[in-house]
Amino acid sequence: MVISGESVRLVSDTALVQRTLRSGQKVSFGGNVVVLGDVNPGAEIIADGHVVVLGALRGVVHAGAHGDDSATVVASSLLPTQIRIASYITRPPDGQPLPETFCPEVAYLRDGEVVIEKYVISK
Amino acid sequence: MGVVYVVTSGKGGVGKTTTTANLGCGLAKLGKQVVMLDTDIGLRNLDVVLGLENRIVYDVVDVVQGRCRLKQALIKDKRFENMYLLPAAQTKDKTAVTEVQMVELIDELKPQFDYILIDCPAGIEHGFKNAIAGADHAIVVTVPEVSAVRDADRIIGLLEAAGLNEPHLIINRIRTRMVQNGDMMSVEDMLEILAVDLLGIVPDDDSIVTSTNRGEPAVLDEMSRAGQAYRNITQRLCGAEVPLLDLSEKDGFLSRLKTLFAVR
Repeated sequence: MVISGESVRLVSDTALVQRTLRSGQKVSFGGNVVVLGDVNPGAEIIADGHVVVLGALRGVVHAGAHGDDSATVVASSLLPTQIRIASYITRPPDGQPLPETFCPEVAYLRDGEVVIEKYVISK
Repeated sequence: MGVVYVVTSGKGGVGKTTTTANLGCGLAKLGKQVVMLDTDIGLRNLDVVLGLENRIVYDVVDVVQGRCRLKQALIKDKRFENMYLLPAAQTKDKTAVTEVQMVELIDELKPQFDYILIDCPAGIEHGFKNAIAGADHAIVVTVPEVSAVRDADRIIGLLEAAGLNEPHLIINRIRTRMVQNGDMMSVEDMLEILAVDLLGIVPDDDSIVTSTNRGEPAVLDEMSRAGQAYRNITQRLCGAEVPLLDLSEKDGFLSRLKTLFAVR
């Protein structure tokens, strides 16, 4: 079966980061960013498009940095210091540290708020 | 007009950042308007020790390079309305800021705050020169180790050369029993070498490790002995006469009881 239409898009503007980003390391890219590794606290990703982390996202991430409200952040383990999407910023609540999650999660904008949900693949 | 203290040591790992965080919180608790400035660009820690890391959007480099206004980069503390942090950048290095820019920045902060505490990076290079550029007074932190005292001595010399005379000394992580056994330098030994004003002594305290990791400075913990030491130091900074913390009472419950009865 050949899949076509909206669910398949040809994107030429995606950066592939094949390593773990450590504290002080920063990736800025004018498209989507895919990280094959972890993003540690103190590391930063700034992308104009989506951000996908196949690892633990513990640092700061900014998706849709130039105002794209539809940008999302997906990570195998989403434990960020701070998430920014377009012009919205959110951070984990004070007090207890975030529980380690073992399922992928997605962060996106809904009605001017960053919401985080289990990443469910819609069929 | 605020007074500017730089917290420095030369050697790394002696407790500059912990001291800055505790003095800042201690002064804020006394109702002072306090701002802490992290100048350890590239290796920032003060935000973590204060538990404010997840609030950072802009940093000191953004301010001096004009990407944001000073007010936007100042992070209000979650415990005290009157305490702020200006964080360092993590993805840049020390050369991102010049001494002139630091002086300008501090001049802008001075009218708004009572105390400006600058957390200095380890070393004597660019970062150190930036940190001391706008300071009125220096607080030198050291620990009872020969290498740390050597570095503190070097730093005091450099501070004097830069016009920061009569620095204050904080001796950190004193272990009473080791001093009593002659295995550790005593306060007197260190003062004999350094010959500067002693601002305070802080005992080695396990609670510092947990409080630092939790982002809750020990000075806010009434049960912590190191916290008590920092409370004393903040009061001295405000001009009060407070005797040095009595380190001998650390010897456990029994001997404390003995001294209690001996006194009466």
